[in-house]
Amino acid sequence: MESLNPNQQPFPSSKTTSRSQTSPHGHSPTRPRLNLKSDPQPHASPEILAPTPRRHLLESSESQHWLRTPPLSPSSSRGVSPVSLFSSASLERRIRTTSYYSTRPSSASLRSLFDSDKARELTGNGRKHEASEKQGVEMSMGRMWVRWMHKRNMKGWVAPALVAISTLLKWCIGLGSYSGEATPPLFGDYEAQRHWMELTVHLHTSQWYTYDLEYWGLDYPPLTAYVSWICGKIGYWINPAWVALDASRGIETSESKVFMRATVLAWDLLIYVPALLMFVKTWQASRSNRTQNLSLLTLLFQPALLLIDFGHFQYNSVMLGLTILALNFFAQGQDVLGAVCFVFSLGFKQMSLYYAPAIGSYLLSKCIYLGPKAGWRLFVRLAIVTTASFVLLFLPFLPPFAPFEAILQPIKRIFPFARGLFEDKVANFWCASNVVFKWKRWASTAVLVKLSTVFTLLAFLPGVFILIRTAIKTSVGATSDTSVSVDSTHSPTLPLLPYALLTSAMSFFLFSFQVHEKTILLPLLPLTLLLCGAPAGSAMFGWGVLVNNIAVFSMWPLLKRDGLGLQYIVTVLLWNKLIGYDPRRLPSKSFVQLLSFAVYGAAGLLHLAEFILPVPSRYPDIFPVLNVLITTPVFILAWLWSIKNGIEVGWALGGLGQARKATSTAPAPAPARTGNSLTEATVRRGVTRAASLGFSNGRRRAPTASSASSSGRPGTATNMGT
Amino acid sequence: MLLYPTYRSTDFEVHRNWLAITHSLPISEWYYDVTSEWTLDYPPFFAYFEKVLSIPAYFIDPRIVDLKNLNYDAWSVVAYQRTTVIITELVLGAVLVRFIRNSVDTPSQRIVSASLFLHPGFLIVDHIHFQYNGFMFGILLWSILMAREGRKLASGIIFAVLLNFKHIYMYLAPAYFVFLLRSFCISPSGQVQIKNFLSLANAVIAVFLLSLGPFVLLGQVPQLLSRLFPFTRGLNHAYWPPNFWALVTAADRVLLRYITRTGANVVVNVAGVSSTSRGLVGDTIFAVVPTVLPIHTFAITIGFQTIILVKLWMNPTYKSFLTALTLCGYASFLFGWHVHEKAVLLVLVPLSLLAAERQAYFRTYILASVAGIFSLFPLIFTPAESVVKIIYSAIWLAFIYKSLSHQVYEFPKSLSYVFIDTFEKLYLLGFPILLAFVSLFPLVVQHRSTSSACTTSQNPAECQEPNPSANASRLEQMEFLPLMLTSVYCALGLVWGFCRLTFIYMKNESTYQGQMNRI
Repeated sequence: MESLNPNQQPFPSSKTTSRSQTSPHGHSPTRPRLNLKSDPQPHASPEILAPTPRRHLLESSESQHWLRTPPLSPSSSRGVSPVSLFSSASLERRIRTTSYYSTRPSSASLRSLFDSDKARELTGNGRKHEASEKQGVEMSMGRMWVRWMHKRNMKGWVAPALVAISTLLKWCIGLGSYSGEATPPLFGDYEAQRHWMELTVHLHTSQWYTYDLEYWGLDYPPLTAYVSWICGKIGYWINPAWVALDASRGIETSESKVFMRATVLAWDLLIYVPALLMFVKTWQASRSNRTQNLSLLTLLFQPALLLIDFGHFQYNSVMLGLTILALNFFAQGQDVLGAVCFVFSLGFKQMSLYYAPAIGSYLLSKCIYLGPKAGWRLFVRLAIVTTASFVLLFLPFLPPFAPFEAILQPIKRIFPFARGLFEDKVANFWCASNVVFKWKRWASTAVLVKLSTVFTLLAFLPGVFILIRTAIKTSVGATSDTSVSVDSTHSPTLPLLPYALLTSAMSFFLFSFQVHEKTILLPLLPLTLLLCGAPAGSAMFGWGVLVNNIAVFSMWPLLKRDGLGLQYIVTVLLWNKLIGYDPRRLPSKSFVQLLSFAVYGAAGLLHLAEFILPVPSRYPDIFPVLNVLITTPVFILAWLWSIKNGIEVGWALGGLGQARKATSTAPAPAPARTGNSLTEATVRRGVTRAASLGFSNGRRRAPTASSASSSGRPGTATNMGT
Repeated sequence: MLLYPTYRSTDFEVHRNWLAITHSLPISEWYYDVTSEWTLDYPPFFAYFEKVLSIPAYFIDPRIVDLKNLNYDAWSVVAYQRTTVIITELVLGAVLVRFIRNSVDTPSQRIVSASLFLHPGFLIVDHIHFQYNGFMFGILLWSILMAREGRKLASGIIFAVLLNFKHIYMYLAPAYFVFLLRSFCISPSGQVQIKNFLSLANAVIAVFLLSLGPFVLLGQVPQLLSRLFPFTRGLNHAYWPPNFWALVTAADRVLLRYITRTGANVVVNVAGVSSTSRGLVGDTIFAVVPTVLPIHTFAITIGFQTIILVKLWMNPTYKSFLTALTLCGYASFLFGWHVHEKAVLLVLVPLSLLAAERQAYFRTYILASVAGIFSLFPLIFTPAESVVKIIYSAIWLAFIYKSLSHQVYEFPKSLSYVFIDTFEKLYLLGFPILLAFVSLFPLVVQHRSTSSACTTSQNPAECQEPNPSANASRLEQMEFLPLMLTSVYCALGLVWGFCRLTFIYMKNESTYQGQMNRI
């Protein structure tokens, strides 16, 4: 990595606006050959930009490192350069391609690289095209499209177009059937949501959690009720029959279906999509425009959420969107706002409690990091704001407006411990181990509740522990150095947050009480956030897509019941095609690759068996059970993997904190200060890189301020590497 | 495509019935069968095509091809038929890829090809409404491709085959005829090349023999022709297609209203007053304007086509041919007798190939596409699918516009150009407003009707029933106002587009900016 510092761009940034077939660079084939292995001689050829001074690995590739991605993705807006192309590939491949580059007139091969989507049509250049394919130019459909748009000078249109196309896709999924269509008397989730609209519109708040509980009583926190109330009001205005009290039960006219689908889409567009847009802007601020677009594409077309929200019918995107908003605010350093968003997320569905350990310990770690004084101040502020927003949410159920006992009713409804350990076949630990060990026969419900709580606690503790430990290690209070200005907006533990979220959500999913198969969406969210910036072919990418696909597979019994088989196939294939996923391209013979092959093989076989064989009468549940047995190990491995990654990142951060103490007395050499040899572009890039772990204000800060403040940050204090 | 479970029009049942006819009946009865009201009215090749399709259908679900099993819409038949549309559309895709391969300006050709493959017209008509247009246009484009590559004999044969698939392509036949005759059978110096002529004639006759042969032997040609050309139908189709006659009909309505208001002394056709042509299948009778007969429409169409063809005869190049082809289709669409609104695709598809050429063509293309696609919207009237069609078309249009407009932009040359430019922009701006009106109008009507007399009925369908309330009956008259407005507004744009294109073609088609300059 170090000898191949990818910041050293061999080629100038080339916005290849050349749609006529001239050479993208326009210079002669006598261009100096590249020698990637040796220490680059930056001034040897005119088109190599002045290099960024060599820094320590951790410094030169901040956020990308934590997110397990190379600093320059193949889709960098700087055009495809050979170095960045192979930054993720193995060393031998680099050497091979180096020889490739040095043995051919480079303008021709470059052209085939630049236009590898056009290469097919460059007649007579079949050989060239083959060559470029051999190098593993991984061009997914989405990537090709994003690139094409950028070349066509339609950069600004990518995000709107993506949103529009995904909206169209969502609506098309919504044309299919939904949960519980035409299955009286209780129907399904669709009817539940519709029933809540009718409930909230017609009844006083005191009756919301008590009215006819047998028929889809409200069992989500108040924000869901408020949202239902708004939708219900609009529905009532358009056609009162859709939400008539009691009379409208099981209404299935096509107009009402359109209306219900429209409400989901509207909330999704109002909360989830803006949250994603903001996410790529804040968490990937140091990445190129193209990478941001690609991440957005990955996130918008994630099949699991599409199928559950727009096919099965639920409003998960609201809860997830609020959580993402909270993460965005954390990344921007606005912890209080983030905490409010997370409380709202909790107030929409209690399921986001799965995230609570991670978020809570992150905020705590931030307080610890800030040191005793500022930390306590932040802690108190957070406590007050969080409590206040909870109170605000539950206001109609609190004493001045309702008797004191009223508050108990929603809480009883929200946490149904009276139900069993698991209902359907869920791919979690309890259900999978139930095959050999009949939990329900061995222990009473009360014991099982306690048992599952203990298991869950144990399972998410590693994530929490790493966060707190890193915070203590890097805490500002731990050093007596007051000369460096403390960057109070950014916590060094932020890169740990997605891993911690994944660990905690996965542990809840695997070990907690009363889990639905749909709740896999919660662990999927941080995983997809991690995945979206990773280059195709990396281990992170492999894990992310594998778990995503398997999660959709684990919901297959549910989707089959809903009649969403077609949508299941289409969305999964489309998403994988768009992001260019191919398990064969993963790091060869790695654990992920072998696991993927095994799991996909098993899943494929199961699908085939289910299609061909009749259900044996002795084991009516044989297929769902097999499904659970295939998917649970994957989820458990993903959970372990997240802990491992968390430990790695935490170790690096914590270790760095220690080292910093040792070297803190040394004068911090200012980065990026080699005088006149620096071009404007390099300075700018250096600044974006230096922004703390790639978060928001890297773009905004002025160069000097950045270098000062970044040297104050523990992670980037000195360039120890050189 | 996720559109399997969408709304299916009557055309869906039509095609299912044809599958059944061709499968279960001997060839001699194909054009005589009247079990269903949807009789086979496409030329023989299409019947053969359905026969081929019906073979796998039988294995999937035998009830698909059961002739008596009318209005069968189980999941199996839906999935099967929709899949066949998607698979046959691959012909279109393949041809468009070929188009890219040897083109002069590859990037713009790629955009044009992509725009054709993803055309909203195909989405609406084929994938939701249900027809096999993608397949047919694939053949048409193949034929055009052959013409581009100079293989004129192949081009002629393929077009003849296409004619035997769907006779609506007759609209384009004159341009083909003149082009092939002039450039293939007559050498540039003016000598007739007998050999070429004979080979072309023989090939075309052979194609027709192959298709019609069995029916000639059975002596069923008159019956076949009467099925293919039903002149008993009216001037306008179910609702007015956006052509010249829509404008005439609208003018007639307006005049009638004016006359009844002012009591002017004009002879009014009584039959016409009652026939308000509210969108029902049947004859349109004008109240004020003289009644139009089929012969008149023919005369006008042929008149316009002759002008264009003379020009083509003088200048038989590929690009000239393409424009003439478009204009022929255009003229037939605008002035023909009983035109389907779906036939607008006949104009839009060849026009697309011209779009990347110059600003003038591009402008015409945008105008005609917007108007044409908008006029297809009423084909799909269920709310769930309307959202699809609107979003999809908007995305498509944005892409085409953004990617092509900056390539072909030309500064307006004189003041009149500026005026025209402004008017066209205003016209295009009118579409979102019209769309809002059309989609909100039923809501308003419904609200009023629910608030007034018909309190029990919840949807407009029930309100259409004869209602004692005067208010409701007035609303009932208004029922077709959005449809009428749509056709008239689109017709305006399309007629203007036609004038524009004709003007360009006749005036100065020698300067091309795009790739055609080099062909």
